[in-house]
Amino acid sequence: MNNLRSKTRICSVLATASVLITGIAPGFSAFNCQSIISAEAQTPPKKKQKTQKLKPETTDVKTDPPAPAPAAAPPVSAPAPAPPPLEPERVEADVSTRSIAVTSGYSGAEIVVFGTVENSRQPSAESGYYDVIVIVEGAPSALVARKKSRVAGLWINTSSFAFNSVPGYYAMASTRPVEEFADVSTLDELAIGFERVRMVAAGQPETRVSSDDLFQFKSAVARLKQTQNLFLRDDYGVVFSGRSLFRSTIQLPANVPVGPLTTRVYLFKDGKLLSRYQSRVSLAREGVERWLHDFAFGQPVLYGIFTVLLALSAGVLASALFRRRAL
Amino acid sequence: MNVYLPIAEMSANAFVFIGMGAAVGFLSGLFGVGGGFLMTPLLIFSGIPAAVAVGTEAAQIVASSVSGAIAQYRRNNVDVKLGLVLLTGGIVGSIIGVQLVKILRQIGQFELFLALSYVLFLGVIGSLMMIESVRTMQKSYAGQAPSMRRPGQHSWVHGLPFKMRFHRSKLYISAIPPLLIGAFVGFLAAIMGVGGGFIMVPAMIYLLRVPTNVVVGTSLFQIVFVTAVTTVLHASANASVDVVLALLLMTGGVIGAQFGAAAGSQLKGEELRFLLAAIVLLVCLRIGWDLIAVPPELFSITAPGGARQ
Repeated sequence: MNNLRSKTRICSVLATASVLITGIAPGFSAFNCQSIISAEAQTPPKKKQKTQKLKPETTDVKTDPPAPAPAAAPPVSAPAPAPPPLEPERVEADVSTRSIAVTSGYSGAEIVVFGTVENSRQPSAESGYYDVIVIVEGAPSALVARKKSRVAGLWINTSSFAFNSVPGYYAMASTRPVEEFADVSTLDELAIGFERVRMVAAGQPETRVSSDDLFQFKSAVARLKQTQNLFLRDDYGVVFSGRSLFRSTIQLPANVPVGPLTTRVYLFKDGKLLSRYQSRVSLAREGVERWLHDFAFGQPVLYGIFTVLLALSAGVLASALFRRRAL
Repeated sequence: MNVYLPIAEMSANAFVFIGMGAAVGFLSGLFGVGGGFLMTPLLIFSGIPAAVAVGTEAAQIVASSVSGAIAQYRRNNVDVKLGLVLLTGGIVGSIIGVQLVKILRQIGQFELFLALSYVLFLGVIGSLMMIESVRTMQKSYAGQAPSMRRPGQHSWVHGLPFKMRFHRSKLYISAIPPLLIGAFVGFLAAIMGVGGGFIMVPAMIYLLRVPTNVVVGTSLFQIVFVTAVTTVLHASANASVDVVLALLLMTGGVIGAQFGAAAGSQLKGEELRFLLAAIVLLVCLRIGWDLIAVPPELFSITAPGGARQ
C-alpha cells in the first residue's frame, strides 16, 4: 500500500506519461519521445495538457532531436545508408524478461536490456558514436537511516533520518562513464548516478533539500545499498553489437525488494539526449513463496499457530524416530 | 542448494542453516540445554535480521524441547500444576516482551537491547558456571568427594501469601514466586529468543526448592508452551517468524541432538559444565566486542516498522 502511494509520487513522471500513452494506444509497448510526440498529436487536448503538466522535461527532449540531426552528419565520414532527409535517431528497447517470479528456489536473476537505435548513423559497433544509459530502478519504499555514535563507551544508534521513498534497487549501465559524456544538469534531471537517485525525505516534499543532514544520510543510504549490491553501476555495461544494436546485462540479486521495476534507456550523442525509452519489469512472489508471504502478513495469528504446529509435529516425529532407534 | 527465506527476504544456502542447526543441536544434546542462547547470536552473525532471529528461534525451541518434555512426562517427571503456574506467568511475560520488541524496533534500539541482554545474562551465567565447574574439578582431582549443596529449611520465599500445594514437587509454597519466575523467563524468551532453561532450572532449585528430578521436566513443559505462545505473538505483532528458516534449523537440530546426547555420555558432568561455560563466555565476549569496538559502518538502514531493509 505504502509502496504504491510513494511510487506514484516519486517514480519518474514519465511513467505516468507512459501509462497515459499506452492507455491511448494499447500494444504500443516500445515508445520513445518521438512516439510521445506523435501520440500527443492524436491525444484529446485534455490528456495532452495533463501530460505536459506532469512532465515539463518532455518539452526539452521534444526540441532536442531536430537539433543534433544535422550536426550528426558531418563529423564522421557518413556511410552511404544515410538517406538525404535525415530522420532523427530513436531508441527502441526491450527487456528479456517482463516478469520475474520469486519462488522458494529464487536466488537472484539476470535481465538483459537490449535495444536498437533507429536511423543509426554510426559506422560500426566500435565507433562510440552514440552513448546509451540503461537504468533499472526498483519500487520506492520508506526507510529509516540511523547513525551510531559512542555513548558511555558503547556504540549506539543516536540519530536517525526518515525517508518517505527510496528506490529499493538501482542499477545503472552505460557505454562509458556517464560523467564523460553527459553534463551534470542532464544527469540531475534524469536522476542518473547514485548521488542523484530520487530520495524523498519524510516531511519534506522537495526532492533536493540542501541540508547537511540530508546529504550525510543520503550518501550513507547510497553507500549501504551499494554494499548490499542493491545499487549497482557498470560503466561499460552497455555494449553495441552492431551499427544500431546494443545490449546490457543487469544483475538482480536475491535481496532486491519484491515489486515492480522500471527500466529506462537513454540515447545520447555528443552529450545531448536524443531519445529515451521506458518499460516495466515485474518482480513478484509466486507459488509457495507467495502463499507463505500472504499467509504471514494476511493471517499472522494463524500463521503463527501453523508454525507452532509444524514445530510440535517435527519435535514429536523426531522423538518417535529417536525412541525407535534407542530400542 | 539455495532457498529463499520469505520473511527474512533473503536467499540463503539451506545447508548452512541445517548445519548450524546440527551444530547447536549437537551442543544442546551434549549439555542438555536448549541452545537458543547460541542459535540466536549465530543467526544474527550470519546476517539474519535480529528480530527475525529471535522470532524464528522461538519456533525452533518448540520443536527441540517438545520431545524432551514428552519423554519427561512419560517418566512422571513433570509437575503439571507447578508448570501451569509458571506458564501463566510466562505468557504474561511473553506478551510484555513481544510488545517491548515492537517498540524497540520502531525506535531502532532493539539490536542494542538484545546485545546488552546477551552480554549480561551470558556473562553472569557463564562466569558462575565456570567458577562452579573449576571448583568441582579441583576437588575431584584432590580426591575429595564433591559436596552436595543442601537445600535450606526455609527462606523468605516461604513467608509469602497465596500458598498452593504442589503434590508432585512435595511443596507448599506461595504462588507468587513461580509466577514471577515464569514471567521473567517468558519475557526473556520473547526478547532474546531463548527457552530460558538456564534461568528456570537454577531458580526452581535454589528459590523454590523443587526436587531435582522434577525440575528438568517441569521446566521443559513450561518452555514448550511459552515458546509456542511467543512464536504466535511474534508472528502477529512483529511478523518476524520465518517458517522456512525454522524448518531448516529444526531439521539440523534434530539430527545434531542425537549425536550430541551420545557424545555427552562420554564426558563427566563438571567437564561438560566447564566446556559449556567456556562457550557461553566466548559468545558473550563476541557480542560485547561488537558493542565497544569502532563499527566499520556507523550508518544502518531499516524499514520504518523496524524490518530489515
